[in-house]
Amino acid sequence: MSPVSGRPRGEVRIVTRRMREYPEDSWTLSRALDDGGYEASRKVVTQMTADDTIELVKSSGLRGRGGAGFPTGMKWSFVPKDVFPKYVVINHDEGEPGTFKDRELAELDPHALIEGITIACWANQANKAFIYCRGEFALGSRRMDRAIREAYEKGFLGDGIYGSKFDLDIILHRGAGAYICGEESALLDSLEGFRGQPRLRPPYPAVKGLYAQPTVVNNTETLMALPAIIDKGADWYRKWGTEKSPGTKVFSVSGHVKEPGNYEAPLAMPLSEVLELAGGMRDGSEFKAVIPGGASAPLLTDLSVPMDFESLKDAGTMLGSGAIVFMDQTTCMVRNALVTTEFFEHESCGKCTPCREGTWWGVKVLERIEHGEGRPEDMDLLLDICDGIDGRAFCPLGDAASWALRSNVKLFRDEFEAHVSEGRCIFDGEHKQLVGARARGDEMEGGS
Amino acid sequence: MTQNGGAPKDTQVGLTLNGRELKVEKDRLLIDVAEEVGIFVPRFCYHPGMKSVAVCRMCLVKVEGSPKLLPACATPVTDGMVVDTVDETAVDAQRGMLEFLLINHPLDCPICDRAGECPLQDQTYAHGPGSTRYVEPKRTYEKALEISELVVLDRERCVLCWRCVRFADEIAGDRFIQLVDRGPGTQILTFSDEPFDSYFSGNTIQICPVGALTSKPYRFVSRPWDLQTAPSVCTYCSVGCPLTNESRDEKIVRCQALPNENVNDFWLCDKGRYGYHHVESAERLGSPLVRSGKEFEPASWGAAVDKIVSAIKDKRRIGVIAGGHLTTEDAYAIGKLAKKVLETKDVDSRIQDAGAPYERALALGGIAGSTATLNDVEGAPEILWVGPDPKETLPVLYLRLRKAVNDGGARLTVVSPRATSLDVIAAKVVRCEAGGEGRALREIDDLGDDAVVCWGQSSPGRDETDAFDAAVAASQASGGKLLVCVPHAGSQGMLDMGVHPGLDAGYVEVAEPGRDTRAILEAAAAGELDALFLFGADPIADFPDAGLARRALEKGIFTVAVELFPTQSAMRADVVLPSAAYAEREGTFTNLERRVQKLERLVAPPGTAQEPWKTCAAIAGALGDAWGWARCDDVWDDIRRNVPTHKDLDLALLTQEAPAHAPFYESAFGDVQTHTMDPPALTVAGPGGQYPKGYRSGAPFQTGQNWPLSWELRAFEAKQRPGVIPHPNGSANGHGAAPAGAPDAPDAAPRAAEGGDDFVLLSGRLIYDEGSMVSRSKALGNIASGGYAELNPGDAADLEVSAGDRVVLRGAGAEVTLPVRIGDIAKGAVYVPYDQRDVKANTLMSGVDSRVGVAKA
Ligand SMILES: Cc1cc2nc3c(=O)[nH]c(=O)nc-3n(C[C@H](O)[C@H](O)[C@H](O)COP(=O)(O)O)c2cc1C
Ligand code: SF4
Ligand code: SF4
Ligand code: SF4
Ligand code: FES
Repeated sequence: MSPVSGRPRGEVRIVTRRMREYPEDSWTLSRALDDGGYEASRKVVTQMTADDTIELVKSSGLRGRGGAGFPTGMKWSFVPKDVFPKYVVINHDEGEPGTFKDRELAELDPHALIEGITIACWANQANKAFIYCRGEFALGSRRMDRAIREAYEKGFLGDGIYGSKFDLDIILHRGAGAYICGEESALLDSLEGFRGQPRLRPPYPAVKGLYAQPTVVNNTETLMALPAIIDKGADWYRKWGTEKSPGTKVFSVSGHVKEPGNYEAPLAMPLSEVLELAGGMRDGSEFKAVIPGGASAPLLTDLSVPMDFESLKDAGTMLGSGAIVFMDQTTCMVRNALVTTEFFEHESCGKCTPCREGTWWGVKVLERIEHGEGRPEDMDLLLDICDGIDGRAFCPLGDAASWALRSNVKLFRDEFEAHVSEGRCIFDGEHKQLVGARARGDEMEGGS
Repeated sequence: MTQNGGAPKDTQVGLTLNGRELKVEKDRLLIDVAEEVGIFVPRFCYHPGMKSVAVCRMCLVKVEGSPKLLPACATPVTDGMVVDTVDETAVDAQRGMLEFLLINHPLDCPICDRAGECPLQDQTYAHGPGSTRYVEPKRTYEKALEISELVVLDRERCVLCWRCVRFADEIAGDRFIQLVDRGPGTQILTFSDEPFDSYFSGNTIQICPVGALTSKPYRFVSRPWDLQTAPSVCTYCSVGCPLTNESRDEKIVRCQALPNENVNDFWLCDKGRYGYHHVESAERLGSPLVRSGKEFEPASWGAAVDKIVSAIKDKRRIGVIAGGHLTTEDAYAIGKLAKKVLETKDVDSRIQDAGAPYERALALGGIAGSTATLNDVEGAPEILWVGPDPKETLPVLYLRLRKAVNDGGARLTVVSPRATSLDVIAAKVVRCEAGGEGRALREIDDLGDDAVVCWGQSSPGRDETDAFDAAVAASQASGGKLLVCVPHAGSQGMLDMGVHPGLDAGYVEVAEPGRDTRAILEAAAAGELDALFLFGADPIADFPDAGLARRALEKGIFTVAVELFPTQSAMRADVVLPSAAYAEREGTFTNLERRVQKLERLVAPPGTAQEPWKTCAAIAGALGDAWGWARCDDVWDDIRRNVPTHKDLDLALLTQEAPAHAPFYESAFGDVQTHTMDPPALTVAGPGGQYPKGYRSGAPFQTGQNWPLSWELRAFEAKQRPGVIPHPNGSANGHGAAPAGAPDAPDAAPRAAEGGDDFVLLSGRLIYDEGSMVSRSKALGNIASGGYAELNPGDAADLEVSAGDRVVLRGAGAEVTLPVRIGDIAKGAVYVPYDQRDVKANTLMSGVDSRVGVAKA
């Protein structure tokens, strides 16, 4: 059962519908037009007011898919009405380890993204949109570039789109490879040509964002949900998910599962069912732990948790970007903690003390434990380091580093202690190579 | 996240801070509000002179209702806020942050200049753990990188507070020092191969909270507890930045800015900061010298004064020229000696700015000087600048102009025949012809209300009266104020005290003015004077007609020079009297906004050098007029009795008593220590007081004793000594010369220049030059840029020269070959820096408005 050919039971395809139905040419303009593409954007620009558009999105309950889950319509309503120019910025940086949904979405359906951008720009009366594309996304950026050009040729972009008086330009910008540039304010600094580092807030981007003008920053998947919502209405969208987390979410499932890939499912689907979408654990694999929302999210060992914003929060973790990494019994959790913390150390922007120094220290201690030089007091030291970062960092990157590390130590303390008492990695042997390499990202797990 | 649209205009908010109820102005930062009531929130990145960045996370405090601790440096107070800075969670966070900062810190205190006045050290010593839980290798970098002639960087010690970077970017506007790399590898660096060549680099050393940035001249020179400190005022330009000089074993070893938000904010330029070395120059004069034939012989003061008295007795054709670096007291004494004792009106203090028509400002309120203060400039909605490039000549004024525009939103218009550093922040730049400033000013029709118009003599040797009158008229028309940018630290005091041919002390106009500097020198050159007195004046180097000055001084007229150094002019005198330098004396300087600020004595002058006012009194006494001055205060009392503008100016206003008890702060670590100072220490003062050994500049704290950054001169303490601006008395006297409506334009019949094409010669000082003090300051001696000839691109093309080529300039019988720079300068003009090692522009000048021939070399 491949994600492309068949439709796994339980999958609900809204943003992935076109790409799954027409895998051979979903990214082309002709396919998009045949498939009813650009109708929703035409509708808002020619038939709806900006305020009505915001209201509709508000009532759909759509929440941001970039990680923070902020209600999209509400974010838009913070944008001052009388200040111009305004900008819409598309966060296509997708740096959260384990996440590969935006990449596939933009590669396989760039026209739907343009349509979503148009809707957001109309709603916010912004005449310019910037796509901040992760630098490594070569295919996606080519496809987006071509799609943008085609849209200009069709009059869907440019001056007076769809024959209206509304002008819209989209500028595609490729980043230079820093996770922190996915954080919206660092993204804006990077887009302006500065060091990518988060900005002090307030002012929030909605009030003073790109070039100090009101700016909406939205994730790719968020925007791609818009055409269907405009088309079919808020109530239709609310058929899925929960009152507070309505709609569907694209989950990037990876790890020791049979069919890693992106699966779109209603929010609040229990983790166990999401695992089933991906074909279950590999043969011989026994479920050990799961990262439910990207590397930033604390681990879970309970598969019954529903995958929606509230339930995951209640379970002490988060939905984040919706990247789910299932791990089996061969996974060394010290190593898992090490590679995760190494990631955050490497990606820390260095602005604030706790994240810069705390991740450095954490890595040093974890390396020692992993290499058999741990001390009995190291586990408490690691937890202290986490406490020293958590809630004190300048931006959520630092906090996230502490969450991930803390959950590893807390849930698998016995494994850490065994490393210390045995003076070596207890997973030394055959599996270790595999686990280590994969967790380090040496072996890319592709989306499609 | 919503905008605060129509909130009621209530400016006060009530909050609870560590259990105390407070009412404070809203929008103020929690960290400042707390500090004012004696609650010190620890910090590294916050600096009151710069925008908050909240990166060090040291200042986290508990605010009720907030799930996270909040950085006090980036949290404005709001109504009903309940804050606890010593809450257990906050203290825990602060301790944690300290531990994080220390894990990679080299702890090389024994070889670190900052040791003893280091916030990181103080805080760790007082509250940190005795040992470390970090057992791994530390991050290392190459140590002690010399990033400029003045600054050394040690990245291992850096706590990445960004203060230096923010200063360079936000305040100075020259991004020479930057953050490089990211994460734990983040470091401070200059761009590869580019040194930290900022005119303001020393400020970064002063505000660096650790020993990461150190001063090359001060490296390994002293421990802070071995320093003696005295507040003073910079002796260079007329901004008059307050500073503290610090000495060890009777030698000045360091100078730091003394914050005064009215004057310099927190800053000094590097000339002010490193220019103190001239004080200890081996060339300083330490004994009176009396000419015998071609040689000088050392003499006693008595013999030297006798020589003067016998030479000038019954002589009444005497000229007196004073320089711009003497105190207000000296100025008063010089004016009194000249006008009352020597009975001459031929007195002037305008040398480089010869002919500058300051007296024409009297029409604006009876003041021969500014009606605007520096704060007025900063708060002005509009600023009009016509004058020299302030970054070169009035550096800290340049910083405040930047602040006025960048933070205050002032609209700046710059009128100049040549690009200035202000152009990039100006809303409008008028590039006028050389000498066309007046016309350009009169053509400006978009100047709004309440503008502050700033005028300064742009180019030595030019008649800029027309521009001045137009500036006065513009300021009147806009209903705003005028900032008159006199050149040097002592220039305004000279005007105030009547060292001027047309003004007596207190701006009293003289019915029949005497000779100005040019006329005095012309009279001397013509042999029409019996004697010439030079007080800190070197006309050969400074007067914009070196030939005339030389002729005047070589005429054989009996000349007395009161000087720090054997200058070219002094070496042509008959009697040379040594003078005490600014750090060796008490007194006051009056800055360009007429603020009077006090100097205190830190080191002893060489030999028998003394203050010029004493010299004046000695000469007057020998001539039969005993003034009865023994101390500097006596001079001041005399000033108060005789100068109407200064009659209410009590020196006590300049030196405030120290608080009886040094304020003690509640430590954020909960273990509040209440030190009481020993009785003798109660005389310890804030700025302006005496500092017993061991007490830090301006801050009544002993190192290690408390949280406040013991080395960091606090703004609110400096406010105790803001200086005083005297009110003009009898300003309504109405006999200020009305600025000419339509000026009788100086008949600019250009005189033919000698050889090559005929160009208007523009000049002006650069920050580092061959001035007698800067050039003798060893730290700065090698930085001066050297001479060049700046030409308009069109003119350069006509001359068939491009940048780097050499041109010959001919004027006043002199000839000099200089490299060409192509610049944004009016056509038909050539700019040559005034006083560089390889070119003295004044040797090319003769008469007013000189022109020069320029030809390809
Ligand atoms: C360290 C960090 C990295 C982030 N990376 C991404 C990212 O790669 N893509 C993304 O859409 N949002 C990312 N975010 C979230 C954004 O800051 C922002 O919340 C989001 O783009 C808003 O869009 P949405 O409301 O549509 O989700 C990141 C946040 C943080 C703190
Ligand atoms: S937590 Fe601090 S150092 Fe880490 S990425 Fe955010 S701002 Fe940068
Ligand atoms: S060098 Fe000093 S001022 Fe600059 S960031 Fe480092 S600690 Fe701060
Ligand atoms: S700006 Fe002027 S007064 Fe201030 S330090 Fe520099 S030279 Fe001295
Ligand atoms: S974070 Fe407030 S002082 Fe650094």
